[in-house]
Amino acid sequence: MLTACASTEPAQDTSDYDPLEPVNRVVHGVNGAVDFMVLYPAAMWYRDIAPQPVKTSVASFVRNINEPLNSFNALLQGDPDQAAASFQRFIMNSTIGLLGFNDVATDFGIPYRREDFGQTLAHYGIGGGPYIVLPLIGPSNLRDTTGIAVDYVANPLTWGAENSDTAEALYWGSLGLTALHTRYATINQLNELQKSSIDYYAALRSLYRQQRNTLIRNGAPAPASAVEDESASFDFDDAVEAASQ
Amino acid sequence: MANNKIAIPAAAMIAIVAAWSGHASATSLSSDVVAEVAVETSAADVIQTMADQAMAELTDHTLADEVRREKFVSLMDRYFEMDVVSRFVLGRYWRTISSQEIEEFSVLLQNYLALNYANQFKEFNGEQFVVGDETQKNKDPFVDSQFVRPDGPPINIVWRMRMFDDSYKIIDVSIEGLSMGITQRDEFTSVIQQNNDDVGALTAALKAKTGL
Repeated sequence: MLTACASTEPAQDTSDYDPLEPVNRVVHGVNGAVDFMVLYPAAMWYRDIAPQPVKTSVASFVRNINEPLNSFNALLQGDPDQAAASFQRFIMNSTIGLLGFNDVATDFGIPYRREDFGQTLAHYGIGGGPYIVLPLIGPSNLRDTTGIAVDYVANPLTWGAENSDTAEALYWGSLGLTALHTRYATINQLNELQKSSIDYYAALRSLYRQQRNTLIRNGAPAPASAVEDESASFDFDDAVEAASQ
Repeated sequence: MANNKIAIPAAAMIAIVAAWSGHASATSLSSDVVAEVAVETSAADVIQTMADQAMAELTDHTLADEVRREKFVSLMDRYFEMDVVSRFVLGRYWRTISSQEIEEFSVLLQNYLALNYANQFKEFNGEQFVVGDETQKNKDPFVDSQFVRPDGPPINIVWRMRMFDDSYKIIDVSIEGLSMGITQRDEFTSVIQQNNDDVGALTAALKAKTGL
């Protein structure tokens, strides 16, 4: 069934669609307050206290715990080579990389690539749909929220957590480390953005959309068809035309 | 390395232009051929020149912040097509204001960007800016470049350019796939929308930020 629509172009959203904006802005505000009280101080502390080797190990661990899902989604996107690469990374890093704390696979020339179910849906041409600010998690959209739910169910670690205390501890531990690492990794940019922006909410919404577009095309440059930004209310051609009048 | 890659075709171009111009008057070549070859600097050359100038002028640690911002603004004046950028970031709302107001907005925008970005140059320490290839997409050349840091992976920066009066000007910059023009447009139009489609609310906010 999936191969039947494999010829579809990957979805690239070119404008914000935010019918739930009033609700989203409230959730955005609450998230900001929670972040300010919990995650932000933790990430600042981590940034200033943890030595670089610890940060590198945590980053590797967080990526490694995602590899089964990366592999699964690469397979769903009809990319068995990437699925094999992610799986290989998982085996290598979990064993000789000591539970994923060392990214030996990258040293062996197998680079990391994130693939989630939101990207899989986009790969088959499904656009983002309405923008959604999720409680605690933050910027998302209907497609990617669906993706999070599917990835949650598909994650072997969530099945394991139901049957084993060790797996459950690993699950919660990885969730905590992922939150800490993700917040740390974006701390400087988000501080800058918050300071410089006039509408922080709108700036984040735009950046989320663009970043997902980049992930969906696996970091490749935007195709010429997406360049002119056709569905946007205004593009560079209009601007040039206007300026020359 | 990348410099050389670009320098060779550029030099070759100039040589061809020089050889060509001797013939041009004698043969019946149409004048638009001459006009076309008169463009001697490629889009990538322009970025290289700008980067060299920015590195030379902005990274001096002893510069006062204010002076650095002024230099940043004059660099933008020279290398960016600010009129186009201003209209782009205002989205469809540029139509609601006069061209004089657009000019005022352009000054505000430049100072706002200088406020946000000029100080980044103060922290420079061992970073290198490497200009790569250019790709033509539709009518615009996109120049790839990398900001190489001593700690951490390089940052990919792509410059979208367009020809205005025989020279390439920058109309957008993308950092790791995030377009500054699009981000700014989405944010600014949201501000205007939130204030009953009044561009004045945005300019007031920009004035408050920049202190102009």
